Amino acid sequence: MELITPRKHLGFTGQGGDLFAVLIVNWLLTFITLGLYYPWAKARRLQYMYEHSELDSHPFHFHGTGKEMFKGFIKAVGLFVVIYVVFFGLMMTKELWAMVTGYLFFMAAFIGLIPLVIHGSYRYRMSRSSWRGIHFGYRGKLKELYGICIRDGLLTLITFGIYGAWFQMNLRNYVIGNIRFGNSQFAYKGDGLDFFLMNLKGYILSIFTLGIYTFWWQRDIFAYYINNLSWNFSDGRRIQFKSTATGGGFFELIIVNFFLVVFTFGIGLAWAHVRMMKFVMENIEMAGDADLDAIVQTELEHKSAAADELGDLLDVDIFL
Amino acid sequence: MSNSYAANFYDGLTSKPQEAAVRLREPGSLEVEVGEERFFWPLEHGGMEWERTATTLRITFGEHPRRVLIVREPLFIKSFVTSMQYAGRRGVYDRTLSLARQGPALFFIALVAIVVVGYVWLLPFTAERLALLLPTQVDERIGDASYSSIMLGLDEDTTASAILQRFGDRLALSEKFDLRFHYVNSDQVNAFAMPGGDIVVFSGIVQGMDRPEQLAALLAHEATHVDERHSTRMIVRQMAGYLFLSLLVGDVNAVVAVLAENVDNMRNMSYSRGLETDADQHGMERMAAAGVEPEGMVQLLELLEREAADMPEELAFLSSHPLTEHRIENAREIAQRMETPTGTDPELEQLFRDLKRKDNVDP
Repeated sequence: MELITPRKHLGFTGQGGDLFAVLIVNWLLTFITLGLYYPWAKARRLQYMYEHSELDSHPFHFHGTGKEMFKGFIKAVGLFVVIYVVFFGLMMTKELWAMVTGYLFFMAAFIGLIPLVIHGSYRYRMSRSSWRGIHFGYRGKLKELYGICIRDGLLTLITFGIYGAWFQMNLRNYVIGNIRFGNSQFAYKGDGLDFFLMNLKGYILSIFTLGIYTFWWQRDIFAYYINNLSWNFSDGRRIQFKSTATGGGFFELIIVNFFLVVFTFGIGLAWAHVRMMKFVMENIEMAGDADLDAIVQTELEHKSAAADELGDLLDVDIFL
Repeated sequence: MSNSYAANFYDGLTSKPQEAAVRLREPGSLEVEVGEERFFWPLEHGGMEWERTATTLRITFGEHPRRVLIVREPLFIKSFVTSMQYAGRRGVYDRTLSLARQGPALFFIALVAIVVVGYVWLLPFTAERLALLLPTQVDERIGDASYSSIMLGLDEDTTASAILQRFGDRLALSEKFDLRFHYVNSDQVNAFAMPGGDIVVFSGIVQGMDRPEQLAALLAHEATHVDERHSTRMIVRQMAGYLFLSLLVGDVNAVVAVLAENVDNMRNMSYSRGLETDADQHGMERMAAAGVEPEGMVQLLELLEREAADMPEELAFLSSHPLTEHRIENAREIAQRMETPTGTDPELEQLFRDLKRKDNVDP
């Protein structure tokens, strides 16, 4: 008899009713504390999502706590208050130069914070995530990230947004390339031109099909994100990720989720969320002979959640 | 001695899962056997953390990199959680969550009930109390801020305003605020009050009047809005309603947010209609106190109803003052109940005639 090693796979074991209980309690506590419970609620939600995400039937874990996220939340709110006070202070003078300065300061502050938010959020989230007791980590340098954002941001501006595709890919290559998992590391190899052409095709076809092609466009974007992702081990072996999602799959997911949320006035959100997680996890295939037992702990702890909370306030979706 | 159960153990050094056996030991510690090794983890130790989901229990111990145990045996999970509760380490959160898990539907319905009660009774009650705690200067500040921008587009007749001011002063309509009356040349059948004491009357409404009691009723109605601080109360209520709803639907989708906003608008509109009836009623009390027949209010409302018939609907007075039969009926009832002063104050009569004469000269 031959011993079959199970294929490496991702999965999501969460259930709508169970997640609903978590979300409704979060909501209740956030509501009666006038929003102060928000960081704890966020921690609980993330813990649930991680704990029910599995690699090879072993769950991930989110170590972040409400307390450290609350500290980050307070710092982020403080920074926001300072920016607004300066802005309104300058606006109140009713002097033209002061108002222009105030406006520029306001824009610069918010745009300038985005790289900081990305950097800090990755550092925090990665450090607080683990699988089989091994922590993730983010080793990117803030200065380098600012370099990419300023250079590519300006190029995007002067090309009326066209360079945005290259910007996104450079950012993704950099950020994901700096993610460590113990002594293994991730890599992303995206190309601006490919990404641009894929989106151009999706955009044009979506217009000609009155939006129906959007689902297939979505499939292409997802595939582009997953197929260029790899996981490299210290012994030189690697795992390549591959998307198996189809346009029809996306069609069903998005349409059903839409009805689940809208016709239940938001109560169905938990079920929609679970459906999405299952869809994403079950449509990522992993190929390669790397040994998942051989990863060695290397990453240090990073407990400051300020940037992560700032990202929430700015409504920046940090997870690329 | 309790049974031992199978568990997964990660040592925090490598990703290799190891088979382990765990058991609870008296007094208050966890025995973990991994291969040849055996550890004891005291339950009350600061480095001991645990979390459970529907099917698994995760226990972590020590400093970073922490050692991790994952147990999926329901019997063990149950006895572990019980002993941790005895150790007093179960928070409000876990209690609430287990309640929500036991009867999700019931829990949800109870929550909805609490929210509805809060929204319908508690919120307005609190907002009203809060609004009345604000000093009257707040009303004046709000009024000042909007006064100049509102008057900018209006043609005020200062001579007529002075007559109107004497008319209003004679009625002594407000104790809390200095009322300032403004007479504006316009065909609109309209009048409004700003918080803090500025009351604007359009010539179009005065033209339709034939008795000073009607003008007195109009001023008394508007003065009630000022004196009872209706605007400020409305603003505080709206803000409280907005805060409540944004907390309520915070994370939920935009459709629900729009829906909630409309519900809130409807509630605010019904409140503002309530304020109009309130201003009629208290206005009539003010009229009686000033020695004017409260019947004037009924006549004013009847006049407005007649005017409403040939007025486009979007005019301000009409949209904010729904002239229902009910409102007139209500005023009539109150007028009948009140002791009616007879005869008209000759000075008011004279001022009213002066004001009307101006209108005839200056169309």
